[in-house]
Amino acid sequence: MNARVDGEVASTAISRLCLLVDDSMLVRKIARKIFTGLGFETDEAENGQIALEKCQNRMPDVVLLDWNMPVMDGLEFLKSLRRTAGGRAPAVIFCTTETDVEHIQKALANGANEYLMKPFDQESLVAKLDMVFFCK
Amino acid sequence: MSVDEVVQARSIADSAIATMRRFEIPATPANYAIWFEYHAGQSPNLQRTIDVLISNQANFNETTLQDLYATFFSSDKEVQAVREISVHALQTLQEIVGVADLASDDAQQFGHALRGIASKGLGESLGNLKSLIENLVQESKSMAGRSEYVGIRMRESAGKIEALERNLENAILDSTMDGLTGVANRKSFDAIIRKSAGEAMNSGDDLSMLMIDIDHFKNVNDTWGHQTGDVVLRHLAKTLQNAVRGGDHVARYGGEEFAVILPRTDGPAAVSVAENIRLALAREPLLVELTPPITPTTVSIGAACYDPGEPLAEWVGRADAALYSAKRDGRDRVEFNECQS
Repeated sequence: MNARVDGEVASTAISRLCLLVDDSMLVRKIARKIFTGLGFETDEAENGQIALEKCQNRMPDVVLLDWNMPVMDGLEFLKSLRRTAGGRAPAVIFCTTETDVEHIQKALANGANEYLMKPFDQESLVAKLDMVFFCK
Repeated sequence: MSVDEVVQARSIADSAIATMRRFEIPATPANYAIWFEYHAGQSPNLQRTIDVLISNQANFNETTLQDLYATFFSSDKEVQAVREISVHALQTLQEIVGVADLASDDAQQFGHALRGIASKGLGESLGNLKSLIENLVQESKSMAGRSEYVGIRMRESAGKIEALERNLENAILDSTMDGLTGVANRKSFDAIIRKSAGEAMNSGDDLSMLMIDIDHFKNVNDTWGHQTGDVVLRHLAKTLQNAVRGGDHVARYGGEEFAVILPRTDGPAAVSVAENIRLALAREPLLVELTPPITPTTVSIGAACYDPGEPLAEWVGRADAALYSAKRDGRDRVEFNECQS
């Protein structure tokens, strides 16, 4: 299956997996559409706890991560993930309405690769994906 | 500094100033420090944080700049010095109060106000604050022993502090407000659009925008002058504010163009609000007695719903397209742009 991100054509036997972690059904739906269109396989989790379980079953290549979620929020998930994932750690893109310096700092300090502010669209999400997959 | 260092510093300075111009950032020493560091390349955390802000097209407003300064320059001596001075000032005042045996009310109020300002950690106003407090300490000390005079001077100083606080609040308000009409200005409105759309994306709630343009406004200015034009603008702004609910936002988008953001409002409801605006304007009595007499203001209105996942510029563009249709189809009307999804 060919996975294509903004001009790069990579033939892979298995397509890359993106885990969408957000308690908003609408956000997951929009993100799913974009990722599927880019040739990704997608899976979803509505909070950090479920997301961790999913990662234990099958580690994704990239995680799109919301901040504020019930049960376990994005930051807690990220901390856990970075502690346990080791070498297989996925790229993490925080995707949130929190736009202040403090949140950005915390996300980056705890291992987020990129930070995408909501509202996002195809272009802004792809731009972040490019940063993650080409500059990682 | 070696010649190389001088040349390099100059190049960094040039980049810093160019960037500050690009983002319309006031060239204060604090802001300059931030952008010099950014271009100097020695602070990866600062760089990454700012890059996140830039890549998300964030607004480098007062709060963000202050947060950046506080986060990355926090062990800064200026802030500490101010804190020390204000603590010293408080102590001196307390001594004076003891000596003068004043009724405690005035002194408490003054000390409270002083503490309030000292703890806010103001950015660019640090210089002003420092000299204000130094003056207060000076005056208080020289008045020691002259009790009624101290009382009067302390009340005056408390007044100065309150005025300073009010000025600061106003300064913050002014940068987001349109001076003439009192509604949000264009810059703050762009931030409002982003915030509303972000929340709508999370919640799945409807979100609509109205673009409102006064019909024949150029004619108003040409026939009756700009003062009348201003009256018309203020009147429209007031009408818009009255036509919307608490959570809605009104902004002056351009010279004679206004925008309204309506959270939790779908297309038909938005059109309904727009029609109400039109009717409200038609119902109003003539603004002023003029020669030749001025006809009631009419507006053309374009409406569009946010389609989550669409670029914000596209949403605004669709509202604008609807406005353009309204103008083209005869003005004094509302048109709605359906989203394509």
